[in-house]
Amino acid sequence: MTQADFMPLLLPLLAVAATVLVIVMDLFLPERRGASLGWLTAALLGGLLVVSFYVPTTGVVGDGVFVGTAWSVFFARLSLVAALLAVLGALEHVERRFPRRQGEYYALLLSSVVGMLILPGARDVLLLVVAFELMGIPLYVLAAYAKSEGMPLLASEEPGSGKKSPAAEAAIKLYLVGATSTAITLFGLALVVGVAGTTEITGLLGDGPLAPLTRVGMMLVLGGMSFKIGLVPFHMWVPDTYQGAPTPFVAFLSVAPKATGIAAFVSLFVIAPAAHGGAHGPWIAMLLVLATASMVIGNLAAVPQSDVRRLLGFSGVAQMGYVLLAIATGTSEGLSMAAFFLAAYVVTNMGVFFVIHACAAEDGRHDLASLAGLSQRAPFLGFALLVFLLSLAGIPFAVGFWAKLYVFLAAFRAGYVWLVALGAVLAVIGLFYYMQVARAAFMKDDASTGAPAPTIGVGLRAAVLLCLVGVLGLGLWPALLFDQTADAGTSILETRAP
Amino acid sequence: MSLLLPVVVFAPAIAAFLLLAIPDSQKAATRAVSLLGATISLLGSIKVALDYDRSAGGLQMGYDLPLLPTLGIHLNLAVDGWGASLLLLTGIIIFAAVLASFTVARRDKEFFIYLLVLVSGVFGVFVAQDLLIFFLLYEIAVLPMYLLIGIWGSSNKVAEDGPFRYVWSLLDVGGREYAAMKLTLMLLMGSAAILVGIFWLYLEAGATSFDLAELARHEYAEPTQLIVFPLFWLGFGTLAGVFPFHTWSPDGHASAPTAVSMLHAGVLMKLGAFGVMRVGMVLLPEGTHAWAPIVGAVAVINVVYGAFSAMSQKDLKYIVAYSSVSHMGVVMLGAATLDSTAWNGAVFQMFAHGVMTGLLFALVGLIYERSHTRIIATMGGFGSVMPVVALFFTLACLSSLGLPGTAGFVAEMMVFLGAWRVGHPIWAIAGIVGAFVTAVYVLRASRTIFWGPGPSEKFEHLHDAHGSELVAPIVLGAAIVVFGVWPRLILDLIDPSTSANLAVITRVIGGGQ
Repeated sequence: MTQADFMPLLLPLLAVAATVLVIVMDLFLPERRGASLGWLTAALLGGLLVVSFYVPTTGVVGDGVFVGTAWSVFFARLSLVAALLAVLGALEHVERRFPRRQGEYYALLLSSVVGMLILPGARDVLLLVVAFELMGIPLYVLAAYAKSEGMPLLASEEPGSGKKSPAAEAAIKLYLVGATSTAITLFGLALVVGVAGTTEITGLLGDGPLAPLTRVGMMLVLGGMSFKIGLVPFHMWVPDTYQGAPTPFVAFLSVAPKATGIAAFVSLFVIAPAAHGGAHGPWIAMLLVLATASMVIGNLAAVPQSDVRRLLGFSGVAQMGYVLLAIATGTSEGLSMAAFFLAAYVVTNMGVFFVIHACAAEDGRHDLASLAGLSQRAPFLGFALLVFLLSLAGIPFAVGFWAKLYVFLAAFRAGYVWLVALGAVLAVIGLFYYMQVARAAFMKDDASTGAPAPTIGVGLRAAVLLCLVGVLGLGLWPALLFDQTADAGTSILETRAP
Repeated sequence: MSLLLPVVVFAPAIAAFLLLAIPDSQKAATRAVSLLGATISLLGSIKVALDYDRSAGGLQMGYDLPLLPTLGIHLNLAVDGWGASLLLLTGIIIFAAVLASFTVARRDKEFFIYLLVLVSGVFGVFVAQDLLIFFLLYEIAVLPMYLLIGIWGSSNKVAEDGPFRYVWSLLDVGGREYAAMKLTLMLLMGSAAILVGIFWLYLEAGATSFDLAELARHEYAEPTQLIVFPLFWLGFGTLAGVFPFHTWSPDGHASAPTAVSMLHAGVLMKLGAFGVMRVGMVLLPEGTHAWAPIVGAVAVINVVYGAFSAMSQKDLKYIVAYSSVSHMGVVMLGAATLDSTAWNGAVFQMFAHGVMTGLLFALVGLIYERSHTRIIATMGGFGSVMPVVALFFTLACLSSLGLPGTAGFVAEMMVFLGAWRVGHPIWAIAGIVGAFVTAVYVLRASRTIFWGPGPSEKFEHLHDAHGSELVAPIVLGAAIVVFGVWPRLILDLIDPSTSANLAVITRVIGGGQ
């Protein structure tokens, strides 16, 4: 292996080193360590982010198993930003709730990031699956990390009665869904690889007309992947998990694995068909159906929710529908727009979850009432919440506006006029339920609740501030991000079939 | 590159930003900064109107900042005659609205922030020459309304009656949160239609630029013209109160706090009409031609139905709100004629109605603050306790019914004249019927409130407008009279733009009128 061969994998390798470093430091730091491990992890992630900007990591590794492109670098940065925000946002939470298990928390998070750094560039089915699991398995553990926290999923149970831990339930749900969908994906891939005789993604669909078994196999893969990113009708786990797992972790879970999952989606359903001859294959219709169903069901199901995290869960389903709409175009423009959308989604959605986390009632409730009078009690958090909600709803001068606009533009250009019209109408419904949250925070007066101002630590404050800067900064100056995503989108379709 | 327009547009937004840094307790500073932002915009818009070279016409005082060159999106601001006159209107209204908001007591800093951000959007729409920026600022102008009405609005209302009153009470119809949500959702639904239309034109024109002039140069295929025009008409028209999408307006305007009603009825509804004319009609001449009869017929419904609805209201604010629906019908009627006189009249009506309705809402606010009721039947004889308010209220009413010597007369006469001239006497007659009904309800309301028997014991202690409260009525009342007696002040600005825009339409249609 020459140095040039090794460079594209620099980021994942450094991330492995960072993981090891955190584990070692965990052994050597004294008992009363405060949040030093969290700060160390944040610094390491920040360092990786800097490296991603200054060291070129494009190129082909080992016969095209891993291809570093502007696309993979963009997603790597996205995961790193998400992880950095997740560490900052969880800093005080982790320190307070499980002071003795901090090292494990951050090490698990980092190892999940390793998977995320590999996945977007993986051009071999084996590597893709391994990276996917590397990303997923630590997440199951993290979801179960707060063994006895959160609200029971059934209203009839008393919190803290010890009968059943909601975090454990959420984790089991996430795990079972994850394992099942992996099994389905693997089974589908086995069929496809069996027909094709190669594990390379660019050769996955073989030459000439598609074999029936390939079609069946890809359909199974589509189902399995849809579970992972929570598309209708494979979305049932999303709201339950969001509601049960610890909120700072959900902030991470709701964006990073989904963004990376979309990258894998692109590898299998855009790059592979493109290499097969440009045609979309028979999946285009399926993608559109999934996108439409996710937009419709996600938006409608979010309306009656009273728990903010469930509401955000369904809204997340709807947002993934918008991304898929862009992916389904199969054009480099569509992919750029999807990448832009995901970047916007990362800062926006994490921001909302952090604010929700900061305002959660003492007993761990996250219903709309717990936000009452927020704009009076904590003006900064109230303002941030409003900006994030407007961004989710796609309102100008927040980055979410450009995200929706670009996705619609790409879809419109690909000829999906009716889907754009539908999406625009659904966006209005979206505004309705996002405004329900804003209404709780702004229009309900404080006097009725008497809740104290939430106290938030430095880490959480920094995380919210960073998200806010991202949402407003990119909202005012979208060209900053747009040029990067344009490169990313172009790069991925250029580098097919070496 | 002139910096004048960016200053006018962004001064309120910058003032809003400065407000963030002022502590809540500094009430005087909050008001001073807000008024400063509004004053800079007012002075700037006066300067724009004065500096605009009427003989040269066209777009002037351009400012161009590439925002996203890859997609052809520029922050491109420039003013034409229409823009200049509406900028002036917005400047006057926001100045008066900020003054009228000095009495806001609860969470006043937030109130001013939303109000100023909103008005920046309004200013921007009138001068944006990039369709996407136009849309973006349009959204900014629409959205803060939700919070402004939802937080500071009033739910005080006449009890619903009729067979559905139980259902209405369940839905909280008339409540401020209901009104805020209804307004936001309906306007956003309109935005969705506009957005689809914008994409359509952008892509068909080659997807290189959102520049309005650039887009107007392209000749769109016939199906595009026929499909996209109604998208713009109904999309922007929702904000202009086009029947049957006007239903947000009475609820919204009645529930909103004074300054917001002034701004919304006075300026925001004009954004809708401006959008229909500036974007829908100029970009899509053939579509305009095909749809104009329907646009006109619906506008007639607006005028007459709005007037009759206003006549049957018991709540003073609802009367003014429905009269806006009726008067905006006159604007749309003028637009639908595609005649130069009527178009001048339509734009002039935007101005005249803006000033007039702004004054009415300001006075209704003053009356309500004193009497704590909006139900007309309980009022009476207020003229003897508040003569100044009575004077200005009557002036606004006279302008509303189109009395010669007021701005309302000039506008309505031009519109009806133009409609008749191009062969739509029915429209003109219906419009005049509307004006007649308007006379009935405004005079009846004015008589009951100010000149009837009374005041009853409860209202004997009411005092007249004084101090800073007088500024808004004086400024707005003066505008009604000045522009009514000397309409050329504004018409000279409007006319060159009307000719230019109309020329685009008639050129494509092949002579047309």
